[in-house]
Amino acid sequence: MQLQKDTYRQQSDLAKYCRTNILDDTLKVRHDRVHHYRRLVYNVVNDSLISAYPLLNNLLSETEWASLVNDFFATHSCQSTQVWKMPGEFYNYIKSTDLSLKSDYPHLTDLIYFEWIEVEMFMMEDIEYPLFKTEGDWENDQIAVNPEHKILQLNFPVHFKNSKSITKEDKGEYFLLVYREKETGKVQFTDISAMYGLLIENIVNGLTLHEILLALKSTSKFENTDQVVAQIIPFFNALQKKGFLPGFI
Amino acid sequence: MNKNVGIGFRKDFAEEFLSSDILDPAFVELAPENWMGIGGYWKKIIKQLSEKHSITSHGLSLSIGSPEPLDWDFLINVKAFIKEYDIQIYSEHLSFSKCDNAHLYDLLPIPFREDTIKHVANRIKEVQDFLEMKIAIENVSYYTPVAAEMSELEFINTIINEADCNLLLDVNNVFVNAFNHQYNAKEFIKGLPLDKVSYIHMAGHEQVEPDLIIDTHGEDIIPPVFDLFDYTTQRVQPVPVLLERDFNIPALHHMQSEINELEKIANNHWNKKHATSKRYISTAV
Ligand SMILES: [Fe+2]
Repeated sequence: MQLQKDTYRQQSDLAKYCRTNILDDTLKVRHDRVHHYRRLVYNVVNDSLISAYPLLNNLLSETEWASLVNDFFATHSCQSTQVWKMPGEFYNYIKSTDLSLKSDYPHLTDLIYFEWIEVEMFMMEDIEYPLFKTEGDWENDQIAVNPEHKILQLNFPVHFKNSKSITKEDKGEYFLLVYREKETGKVQFTDISAMYGLLIENIVNGLTLHEILLALKSTSKFENTDQVVAQIIPFFNALQKKGFLPGFI
Repeated sequence: MNKNVGIGFRKDFAEEFLSSDILDPAFVELAPENWMGIGGYWKKIIKQLSEKHSITSHGLSLSIGSPEPLDWDFLINVKAFIKEYDIQIYSEHLSFSKCDNAHLYDLLPIPFREDTIKHVANRIKEVQDFLEMKIAIENVSYYTPVAAEMSELEFINTIINEADCNLLLDVNNVFVNAFNHQYNAKEFIKGLPLDKVSYIHMAGHEQVEPDLIIDTHGEDIIPPVFDLFDYTTQRVQPVPVLLERDFNIPALHHMQSEINELEKIANNHWNKKHATSKRYISTAV
């Protein structure tokens, strides 16, 4: 760095002021105007977070929201060059920080995860689909899966219950299939059971339904596999229509 | 009539723009940061856009004025992006938006000092060497000088000369700064290295206090800024001109009428034999 110490300090203090709203008296700026920089910088961050986290914004009071955003921006050094990715850093910050808000809202981390996944999956780079044919046999063929998907495991039903009415009593195991539609780019959420989550994971790993059920039968998880197949086929047919299971390999 | 004037591409009007002929710009400008490393819906949109229009790029996060080293991973991505979409122009702001390893997502003024000139000019050279092209650096609007030891004009001129880069002349920013810091906008423009101007920005702004204008890009261009554009076009070679409208976006036909007005002024002064915007873009770098 060819900068003199004082020049660096001036830049650093201005940046710090924008992040913390604490102005160092030695900063050589017009003190009647510098507040516009804090306002402009804060607005960009706040607006991006509101648009990524509308449910969280709606759940928290104005004061809670503002203090969360302030603390995040003041203490966390944002690394992303792309402003749309910055809310992902906010999610990681919340996940890894001790916050009293988490005891007021036990589902806080789940809610923000759920909201972030939607943004991330909507924006993420395209993943190439496997080659597949549309006709085949659900039980014995290897099933092609939309590679742009995730299975979320949540402790609170943030995907189907109003965040304001979720309490500790709602704690449980919830599974959610999230995928991006190829044609529209829309992110779709489907509530699934733990068993369907397990099935889909195994299908993604390249096992056929027949092989999966055989393995499950040996662990005596399911006795009556015929009944399971009868339930699953309509579910798979629906997922094929939605483009999540586009066909067979 | 020659086509000189492009539009800043915004997601807000992407769909209507691509599915109609209401807006007919010479080119579109976008920020690589908003469009690189993405997929899905917006990837399809930028592909469609690049099939229909010439694209120029105007960066946000390079932070040429940062005290810390350049972000080479970011530059690698920018280089790949401009190659992918056959982009011939990359410009950035004469400001900093990252300090102490933290991004701020807005443009802060660099101290007008000898040491920042050396530092920034070197960084511009490094970026130009890496991208294998000249870049254009934009005069930014600012609301307070920071620890300034010289005039803004001397600062800009010396950097452009030392870095041997192009100047993106934002005419509205000159107007905003002249108002905010009480200098004469035309004298300022006359004092710039006008032979280095490779690109012009035009935009609207908002007066928030009796003696302060904020560069919002959220209003129409006002008549004195059109006048300043007229003054500028008499003094620079034909270059691409961009209408920036980032907020409070009006109907497309409204923006087209602003484009038409800019075209009219540009065509009054710029030699009509200078062919199409495509040619301006390739000669400007
Ligand atoms: Fe500009």
